[in-house]
Amino acid sequence: MKSRTIKVDYLARVEGEGALYVKIKDNTVVDIKFKIFEPPRFFEAFLRGRTYNEAPDITARICGICPIAYQMSSVHAMEDAFGVAVDGQLRALRRLIYCGEWIESHVLHVYMLHAPDFLGYPDAIQMAKDHPDIVQRGLQLKKAGNDLVALLGGREIHPINVRVGGFYKVPTRQELAPVAEKLKWARDAALETVRWTATLHFPDFEQDYEFVALRHPEEYPFNEGRLVSNKGLDISVHDYDNHFIEEHVQHSNALHSVQKGRGSYFVGPLARYNLNFDKLSPLAQETARSVGLSNVCRNPFQSIIIRSVEVLYACDEALRIIEQYEKPDKPALEIKPHAAVGYGCTEAPRGILYHRYRIDDEGVILDAQIVPPTSQNQKTIENDLWQFIPQHIKLPNDQLTLQCEQAIRNYDPCISCATHFLKLTIDRV
Amino acid sequence: MHEFSLIKALIRKISSIALEQHASKVISVTVKLGALSHISPDHLREHFVHASQGTISEGAQLHINILNDINVPMAQDVTIENIEVIENS
Repeated sequence: MKSRTIKVDYLARVEGEGALYVKIKDNTVVDIKFKIFEPPRFFEAFLRGRTYNEAPDITARICGICPIAYQMSSVHAMEDAFGVAVDGQLRALRRLIYCGEWIESHVLHVYMLHAPDFLGYPDAIQMAKDHPDIVQRGLQLKKAGNDLVALLGGREIHPINVRVGGFYKVPTRQELAPVAEKLKWARDAALETVRWTATLHFPDFEQDYEFVALRHPEEYPFNEGRLVSNKGLDISVHDYDNHFIEEHVQHSNALHSVQKGRGSYFVGPLARYNLNFDKLSPLAQETARSVGLSNVCRNPFQSIIIRSVEVLYACDEALRIIEQYEKPDKPALEIKPHAAVGYGCTEAPRGILYHRYRIDDEGVILDAQIVPPTSQNQKTIENDLWQFIPQHIKLPNDQLTLQCEQAIRNYDPCISCATHFLKLTIDRV
Repeated sequence: MHEFSLIKALIRKISSIALEQHASKVISVTVKLGALSHISPDHLREHFVHASQGTISEGAQLHINILNDINVPMAQDVTIENIEVIENS
């Protein structure tokens, strides 16, 4: 037996956070596993023993792209627990900061991640060489969202100004004025974005999904409403745990959410749009119709247009809120903690984000449950691939990988930040 | 949060080198851990033990050279320096 040392000098790299395993037997797909490697992050456990007012800042750290969603779901859950209702201008400011987050998150996905798939570029950097004006418009539009979050939240990423009961500091009308100017430009750019995305080529792919989103009697949903679906679900957020369940599957580190007795469901822009088209602003509705969309869209590839419509809505809604804004007397309502359970569900850019907390008399968190949108969509993503792959089974592996990446990216899953996140293994037996 | 993917890539690289070299077993692996590499030596070791199970590297010694200079260009990286293998006889 002889041993030998081999010099290597190889840089170990992060090669993506997701993998797709496909097993094909006699030209038929027999197994599909969409795996998420990202290890469990234990946030629900971190929260135990912390006080109720720390939840918005701790949970915001879960995501650098949608921290506002985590802050909003946590503050609404705490306020639900303590019987406090934030209304008037403070409530409006919460919608306003959410508009900022939808703009920055959706624009990032539409321009930097999803569009290159449609136009055949490996990433937005390559796309910028041929389409500099489009990429610049995307960057500037995203900045309008960042500016809004920075003004209301204190900074763009992981903002620190949101608290249970309201905000630490609220802006004056004068402070909002320059942002409104940028938003007027952004609204025009968003309109152009809808028109542009509608010209892309979409695979013919429609499924009979169960869409789940919040629905509010008066407005397109951000922070409040009942959970409804196109197949008859209509429940209070308090009943979430009676209708949905998180299952552990061996091949993924993200839990799969299903509706009890009914299976997979679909959350996110497409679900919101299909269930709330009538609550979009007239401009957003008109623009959607003008590019050929009806009030229902079942093709997940067209989610790029729907996201753009939501960006347009967010700009429009932000301008409406700013126009009617008057600085509230107090930046936050007083909170008196007591033992209780609180529930919160808000519309993160990627879909409903559910939080539940059990609090003791001192305001200390006893346990926490957080269900993010990507884990709710994961089963639907796998189902899509079961339908989608057989249609493209004859493609060579590299092209099939690109098609599958695009099909997964329709859902803007949290792992999509990696441009080429997918390692596809095809096992032909 | 990227450890899993990083370690998988590392194990895959080691396995492919071992295969190229017609090795029957990997005895040790030496890696250089940059000062800003976002992973502690203990954490790396723990992941390595798990990820190497069932591969040619299972049971291999992991030597970690820890770099302290944050200003070198490779400060953020994890580099495989060398591997020691038993050759197929």
